[in-house]
Parts: sequence; C-alpha cells; structure tokens
Amino acid sequence: MMGQETMIQPNAGTPDLNLEDLRPRIQEKKRFSDFFMPRRSRYILFDPDKCTGCGTCEMICSTRNAARVAPASASVRVVTDDNRGRNLAVLCQHCRKPLCIEACPTRAIEKGEDGIVRINDLFCVDCGLCTLACPEAAPLKDPASGDIHKCDLCEGDPLCVRYCPEGALTWTRGKKIRWIKAARWTVQTLSFLFLVMIVIGTFCSFRAGTVELSCPTGTLQNIASSGTLILVGASSALALLVLTIIFGRVFCGWICPFGFVLDVVDKVTPKRFGLPGFLKSRMAKYGVLAGAVGGSAAVGFQVFCTVCPIGTLCRSYGVQSFFRSAELAIVPVLAATELAERRSWCRYLCPVGATLGLAALLRLPKIVIGAKKCKKFSCIQCAEVCPVGIIDADQLREGISPKIPMTECIMCMRCVDRCPYDAAKIRFRWQKATPAER
Amino acid sequence: MKRDDKINDIRLSSGAAGCVECGRCVAACPMAEMYADFGIGMSPRGVIRKALEGDAVLDDMNIWYCTECNSGTDVCPQGVSCRDLIRGLRAIAVEDNRMENLRRCPSCGGYFAAVPVEDFVLGRLRTEPENVIKLLEICPSCRREIYLSRNT
Repeated sequence: MMGQETMIQPNAGTPDLNLEDLRPRIQEKKRFSDFFMPRRSRYILFDPDKCTGCGTCEMICSTRNAARVAPASASVRVVTDDNRGRNLAVLCQHCRKPLCIEACPTRAIEKGEDGIVRINDLFCVDCGLCTLACPEAAPLKDPASGDIHKCDLCEGDPLCVRYCPEGALTWTRGKKIRWIKAARWTVQTLSFLFLVMIVIGTFCSFRAGTVELSCPTGTLQNIASSGTLILVGASSALALLVLTIIFGRVFCGWICPFGFVLDVVDKVTPKRFGLPGFLKSRMAKYGVLAGAVGGSAAVGFQVFCTVCPIGTLCRSYGVQSFFRSAELAIVPVLAATELAERRSWCRYLCPVGATLGLAALLRLPKIVIGAKKCKKFSCIQCAEVCPVGIIDADQLREGISPKIPMTECIMCMRCVDRCPYDAAKIRFRWQKATPAER
Repeated sequence: MKRDDKINDIRLSSGAAGCVECGRCVAACPMAEMYADFGIGMSPRGVIRKALEGDAVLDDMNIWYCTECNSGTDVCPQGVSCRDLIRGLRAIAVEDNRMENLRRCPSCGGYFAAVPVEDFVLGRLRTEPENVIKLLEICPSCRREIYLSRNT
C-alpha cells in the first residue's frame, strides 16, 4: 500500500551492531608523566584588543578550505559589533569535552590524542548539527559547496596566526612546566619534613634559638584553659597570623603537614562520593573553633590539641613517638574524608584554618578571575582544580567573574597556575579590576 | 503562482520525478542514526514518493525531520536532490504559515531549525548543565553575538 507507514524491523538473525561497535569513541588515557608535565593541547588565543576586523584570517583560511579566496568558505568568522567597535573571531576552541562530538549523528567528529578536534570527511554528511550543538557555533557551512568547515589548527601551523597583520591571534602551547605547581609541592614536602622530622618539639609550639612560634589555635585554647594571657606565647602565635595577613592563608596551602598528607591522598583517591548538602557548611569550622576554645576553658586543658591531626603528625616522629602511635590513628581517619570531597577537613572542620580565616579578613592579596578573559566556554579548569571548591563554575559559564571568598581560599594558586588565558591573577585587595578583568 | 504549480516546480527542479526508488539515499541518510522510529515514511524515499503523489506531503510531519545534509544526493544514481526537495517543500509550508515545526530563537525571534532536529541535538546533550542548554536554545548567530558582547 502506498502511503502507508510501515516500520522496517531488523532481521532477528543478524547481530545487533550499533555505532559504538563500528566507531568506538577514543578514551583519554591518563599517563603517569601527566603529573609532572601535563599534556596541553595547543590552541589559538584571540586578543580582541588587537583585532581590527580586517578579515585576513577568513581570507587565508578559505584558501585552505576552498582553494580560492572566498571568506564565506573559511573555518573562522569575524563577527563585528558596530556600536562598540569590537570584533570577535569565532574559532573552534577545541573544547576539552566537545559538545559537537556528542551531537554528531554519524560520529564524524573526534578529538585526537593531540587535543585537536577534527571532522573526518569520510563520515561527515554536512548536516550541520555540530553548529547547533556548539556554544560558539564555530563549525561553519560553506554556502558554495554546502560543506561544513571547522578549524583543525592547520595540523600544527595555523595560517590565520601567521598572516594576522595585527598579531591578534597567537598560537600557544600554554605553559609547559607549571612552575607554581612544582614550587608548591617542593615547599610542601620540605615543610612536612621540617615540621615533622627535624623540629623536635612541634609546630604547635617550638623554639629555635630566640625564635618562638606557636599555633594560634593552640594559643587560644591555652589562654582559655589557663585563664591567663601569656604574652610571650601570644606574640609567638602572632607570627602565623601576620603571615596570613600578608599572604593570605598560605599556611594551609603550602606549609601545613596535614594538608600535604591530604594532597598526597588526593592524588591516589580513585573516586569521590560527595557530601550531602546539610553537611556542607563552611561556618562549621568556626563552630569547632569556638567549641575547642570553650571546651578548653571548661576542662582546663587544650581539648582540640589532643586530637589535632596537624599536631599529631608533628609529634609523631622522634624519641617519644613510640608512645604516641595510638594518637596517630586520627590521621588516616581524617584522611579518609578525602573520599567525600577534596580537602573536606579543611573546608568544613579545621579550627586552625578557622583561626587563619579570621586573620584572612585583614589579608592584603586577593585572587581575581576575569570572566572576560576566560573565553573558553567549557574550560572550567580553575573550578575543577580548586581544592576547596570556592570558584563558582556556573557564574563563569555565564560570563560573570566569580567573587572569591579569601577567608576560604588557601592560596595554593592552582587556579593561577592552570588558567590557560591568564584570567586568574593575584592582586592586592585594594586594586581595582581593569576592564579586561571584570 | 498556484501552490500546485510550486510543488510541481520543486518536483522537477530537485529531480524527484526521476526517482527510481533504489533506496541508496535511505542507506546513507543520517536520520537512521538519529531517530528511533526511522521508517519508510520518514526516509527520503518515502518523502519523495509522497511528494510525487500530491500535496498531502505538506501536512506530513515527516518533512520536518531532515537535517538538510547532502548525503542522499551524493549517492543518488538519478541525481535527485532530496535536500532541495525538502527545502522547497518546507518553504511552501512556511508560506502557508505552518511555523509550528520550526524552532524560534528566544533572543532574535527568527526561525532557525526544525523542531525534531533541534530536539535531537538537545536530547543528546541533556546531561549538560541548565545554562548550557539555555544557550543552545538560542540560534547560532545570536550565540556568536552573545560571545561578542561578553568576551570583547
């Protein structure tokens, strides 16, 4: 019967093959060397301040796609805002998790090992669904031939970068070695060894010659329990507070031996389970601090210090450590909280961090993330690497610069290190944001 | 020009009248991967057949599933351009004010894609966060404008 709709059923005898069997997706493998020198996919960085909208990139790109100068056939498009006199080169950003790959019905788009997202012409049927799925609508339809063109970075030597007369396009690999990362791990390891193994006495209160340092939280409890203000002890506790005021909570990110343990545990944690919402209260650690100080006043000795993981670690090494090994049980117990969220101890509970957080109310530096500079839609790397999770990824996606609560920030500078667009920066707190950083 | 003449024009200009129903276009059509209920009615061959029968094809939902790729034309031995046929049929349907199968951009108000096609894309990306979906519901050129105003 003509016009009658019938469903074509596959034969029962044939094996049920689908696209996944024919063209399986490339799975990204993690290598051990990624830890030291992470592979960075290269990309074209566009500087709107330099672009004059001349269209040279379109012209030179079209010679590669269509073998003639026809800007409409190019893989790049310059969009102009006449009112403001600004231009934007719409280019494939080679996203880390490309949406076009998901949307492509024939699975013609794939991301290579080198990070370049390519359209395979053998499979592409020019349907244009990738344009609908791309946040920037970067795959472009050639009106002459009907083909879909998308930037493939000219397989390593982009013509548009070479011919841009104003230098608005730059071809960059990103930083090859992350210096901040290397420095932080070195400092963390050294201070761990120093505080745990070399300094006899503990971080909680140690004396080297005339220099005396003590933990501010321990000192607060000490004052509360003894009821007397020991000036020498109080002044020695100030050193850490002053450090915090000048640099932010660098102690938590760079020095704390327990923080180091957590960071190491974090590297081997296979999976994170997350926390239920009602447990996620960053104010809880101030409650713990108040409880520790109040408890010390009531009981008459430093309550929290007996279970403090930082102090326990510091006391664990040396002659008397034999007697204290039972105490050390708190460390693996708290390290297991890494399974919930990264540094969940530091985020929600640590009273030492709470004391430093109070000091950080007076801090001098701040971290700014300028959403205008961070152009890449799906690169929320700063929010991903932030160990205390204070960068709002949703705001970044909407193009709003997130406000970073510096009382929570542990100044590990992972975001500064990771950002490929130099959008995350350290500034003094009184510095106003430049237009590009807003 | 009368509507029947217009449809006839499209039948001729797209070469649909020469269709021999070999079914190569059906084998090449990406809609087979996209829609679970891909059948004879939705396939290019079915649409061509229906277009040759009369103007009932304009009321048929099946003309709105096409992605307007060119793979059917590439393999056709008779040179029938099923894309041009469907484009033409859609144009006539739009002239008759049948807009319900076109997705309207919430930003500029223009029509930019057929509803089933856009639904397929959003369905594939349904695990994405809400703000991404919201951005993808806007038409491609408006998205570029958004990036232009946001990033420069």
